[in-house]
Amino acid sequence: MQMNDSQRIPASKEAVWAALNDPEILKQCIPGCQSLDMSSPTEMTATVVFKVGPVKATFGGKVTLSDLDPPNSYQISGEGSGGVAGFAKGGAAVRLEAEGPDVTVLHYDVDVQIGGKLAQLGARLIDSTARKLAGEFFKSFGEVVGKTVAAGV
Amino acid sequence: MNDMTPTREQREAKLEGMGCKRKRVEDIRFTQGKGSYVDDLKLPGMLHGDFVRSPHAHARVKKIDDTEALKVPGVLAVITAETLKTVNLAWMPTLAGDVQMVLADGKVLFQNQEVAFVVATDRYAADDGINKVVVEYEPLPVVIDPFKAMDADAPVLREDLAGKTTGAHGPRKHHNHVFEWTVGDKDLTDAAFRKAEVTIKEMISYHRTHPSPLETCQCVCSFDKIRGELSIWGTFQAPHVIRTVVALIAKIPEHKIHVISPDIGGGFGNKVGAYPGYICAAVASIVTGKPVKWVEDRIENLTATSFARDYHMTTEIASTKEGKVTGLRVHVLADHGAFDACADPSKWPAGFFNIVTGSYDFPTAHLSVDGIYTNKAPGGVAYRCSFRVTEAAYCIERAMDILAQKLGMDPAELRLKNFIKAEQFPYHSALGWEYDSGDYHTAMRKMMESVDYAGLRREQAAQRAAFKRGETREIMGLGVSFFTEIVGAGPSKNCDILGIAMFDSCEIRMHPTGAGIARVGSKSQGQGHETTWAQIIATEIGIPADDIMVEEGNTDTAPYGLGTYGSRSTPVAGAAIAMAARKIRAKAQMIAAYKLEVHEDDLEWDIDGFRVKGLPEKTMSMKDICWAAYNSVPPGMEPGLEAVSYYDPPNMTYPFGAYICVMNIDVDTGVYKVRRFYALDDCGTRINPMIIEGQVHGGLTEAFAIAMGQEIRYDDEGNVVTGSFMDFFMPTAVETPHWETDFTVTPSPHHPIGAKGVGESPNVGGVPAFSNAVNDAFSFLGSTHIQMPHDYWRNWKAAKNLGVFA
Repeated sequence: MQMNDSQRIPASKEAVWAALNDPEILKQCIPGCQSLDMSSPTEMTATVVFKVGPVKATFGGKVTLSDLDPPNSYQISGEGSGGVAGFAKGGAAVRLEAEGPDVTVLHYDVDVQIGGKLAQLGARLIDSTARKLAGEFFKSFGEVVGKTVAAGV
Repeated sequence: MNDMTPTREQREAKLEGMGCKRKRVEDIRFTQGKGSYVDDLKLPGMLHGDFVRSPHAHARVKKIDDTEALKVPGVLAVITAETLKTVNLAWMPTLAGDVQMVLADGKVLFQNQEVAFVVATDRYAADDGINKVVVEYEPLPVVIDPFKAMDADAPVLREDLAGKTTGAHGPRKHHNHVFEWTVGDKDLTDAAFRKAEVTIKEMISYHRTHPSPLETCQCVCSFDKIRGELSIWGTFQAPHVIRTVVALIAKIPEHKIHVISPDIGGGFGNKVGAYPGYICAAVASIVTGKPVKWVEDRIENLTATSFARDYHMTTEIASTKEGKVTGLRVHVLADHGAFDACADPSKWPAGFFNIVTGSYDFPTAHLSVDGIYTNKAPGGVAYRCSFRVTEAAYCIERAMDILAQKLGMDPAELRLKNFIKAEQFPYHSALGWEYDSGDYHTAMRKMMESVDYAGLRREQAAQRAAFKRGETREIMGLGVSFFTEIVGAGPSKNCDILGIAMFDSCEIRMHPTGAGIARVGSKSQGQGHETTWAQIIATEIGIPADDIMVEEGNTDTAPYGLGTYGSRSTPVAGAAIAMAARKIRAKAQMIAAYKLEVHEDDLEWDIDGFRVKGLPEKTMSMKDICWAAYNSVPPGMEPGLEAVSYYDPPNMTYPFGAYICVMNIDVDTGVYKVRRFYALDDCGTRINPMIIEGQVHGGLTEAFAIAMGQEIRYDDEGNVVTGSFMDFFMPTAVETPHWETDFTVTPSPHHPIGAKGVGESPNVGGVPAFSNAVNDAFSFLGSTHIQMPHDYWRNWKAAKNLGVFA
């Protein structure tokens, strides 16, 4: 499943870029994220509770950052397993565009594959759920980064 | 005679024999919720097993870690392929001559494949245990599209078959190839096509679907270590076959295996084969010394135990300009999934698909079938049809409509022109069958008159004209279907399962007071055998059906039978019942002659006993003969009154029928409305017209489901995306159309009572009727063939592709 959209963030490109590489901020913004630990500057392990229709599962997996072009773009990819609930893998190409000194547009291009019980039971719900989750992530990311910048942190 | 003497009619009515609309005796318990199904069985100390299943369609299994699972309270064991290897049961033979993994051995080949079996004190604990088994997979590229399975660079699915260029049914052409099966005269057929004035060619797909009985597959296995005996209660359509399979693969002597099929909540082909759940439950019981229950849930049933169809049939007909068919050529790509787990008679890798010449007099035909492996669930079973017969009927009935369209002929007229004529029976088809009896023209004309076919065509023409003028957005279709089935497998000369000839059997034992018990080798899953089998006996020996108890499903008491599927019960077991009853009557005649002090030949049968020819007052009822059988048999005769018959049918039977579906479709929404569905069935002698009608209603409902939406669909990654009744179309009373039923009677000449079997006819004939109705509706807009299933969305899409929204 593929989707793409963009999010306008009231912060400088550099601030957005820093946040994109900050596990604490990512953890706050990923819906259902229980933990996110950085094992190297480009590798993280995450635990996320994910729910599609009747299936709810805790996914454990790896997140990798690649194709880094600071402060313009990177590729964030992950794959995780939810045990009997199934598995998910995919990633997003993230690109930042400065609209002004304090406004950045974050473009994202997501490609996700879902397998196992999640796909069997949730086929008709996956698209809308994934869209919703991606929307939630980038929306709260925008808010958190905006707030952080406004607070002058 | 006084007034109390019952009349002949009253005596006959009392029997409730053949032809009587006798109410189903089994319904007394079923309608009160008092049936006894496998899941009702609760044995002391019984454990529960459930599967860890693969989320991947194709992956290597790197590691299975059960450490945490074994810590879950209640979990006693986690069985894997490694465990099963110690008893040589990691793989099992399939009925189609292939082998199948019981539990994933090194890799998984379809989503939801069985990977490990968790045994626990209850089902909840087993489920918690499953969640704690950690399986490490390495995903591999998948093959889902059957048309890509034999690409040169297609991933190798069955590594266990590496280097094997020959399978159970001859040479293999490719690493994902199972078999090639050819029938008919290729040269003659090719010549017919070269000379043909008109030809059609179309790839007609019969999509993947599933029998989905309301009761899923399940069993309870209990191994008694002291006696060395294994008891298995299961949802088996063929309990004796299961017993023999278990004896062969588990090396337990067959007399120490007790297989019992209790009440079964629908089978439709799903419960013929042997599944990993049975093996794992048996092994778990042997390992733990406790009874072990395994019950599939709905997702498991839809995604793992046998699917049906997935046949892709490239079909060509050669014909004259006038519409006389001169040749048929069919190539089938048969998708079997990960393992060839068809439940066909051993010598028939594509079942009886060579019935594909249908009801028509094709002078020549040629058929080839290529079976292939893909990363989908293994199968495919005969879902409410004799082996691959519904595929064949759909193929030829759709193709005849396509030919009619090309010729500009009416589809009914084209059929009438090409039918095998009544005087041609017994008819030898170009693909090798001997049709026993038929009168197709009479059946077809009766259907056309009953529904006013000509009037419906006039209405359709008016509707089309109105559509073209923009006055309506509804289009109207007439779906004509005339099918010939081949059922009643089968004669020992060409039908066996694992080397056992496909006979069937009956044992009748009459008690002194004139009641009796009949034990039969078939196994009802809702067909009403307890009712109809007693009716056959009632007519044959003159004992009221109510006084005959019918028992099936216990391999310790029932004579060996091959079970119930492929509409074989009436053609084979029904014949055995009649033959056993006739043996009873023959002995009864000797007893009556002795008691009446006449010669046997001086007696004649009269409804419920014998009478002396010319002396109508001198009679002896069967009830009295039963008593005499236990106290005063002729000198030299053994007492008692019982008989056994094992019946090896001389031929298959060939039921047929004429169906029509009248449908309107709204092109803007794709919503269809079945306005009328008329089904005329000829199943030969009719044992119980009410049960026949019920069978036709049920079969038509399944046909409706399949044609109009029921599908097992996979995405490109091999995920089953129709894994529950939310996505898999299961019609309820709300969606189901009204059915009109009718009949003609053309008895089978070789069957003792002339019956042919009916349970599957409506599915076989119904699917093409629905599909032809949809295709007929769209045909005037320039469409030739729209693939099934015809759900609203696909109808809308078909309309869109035909440009009606321009």
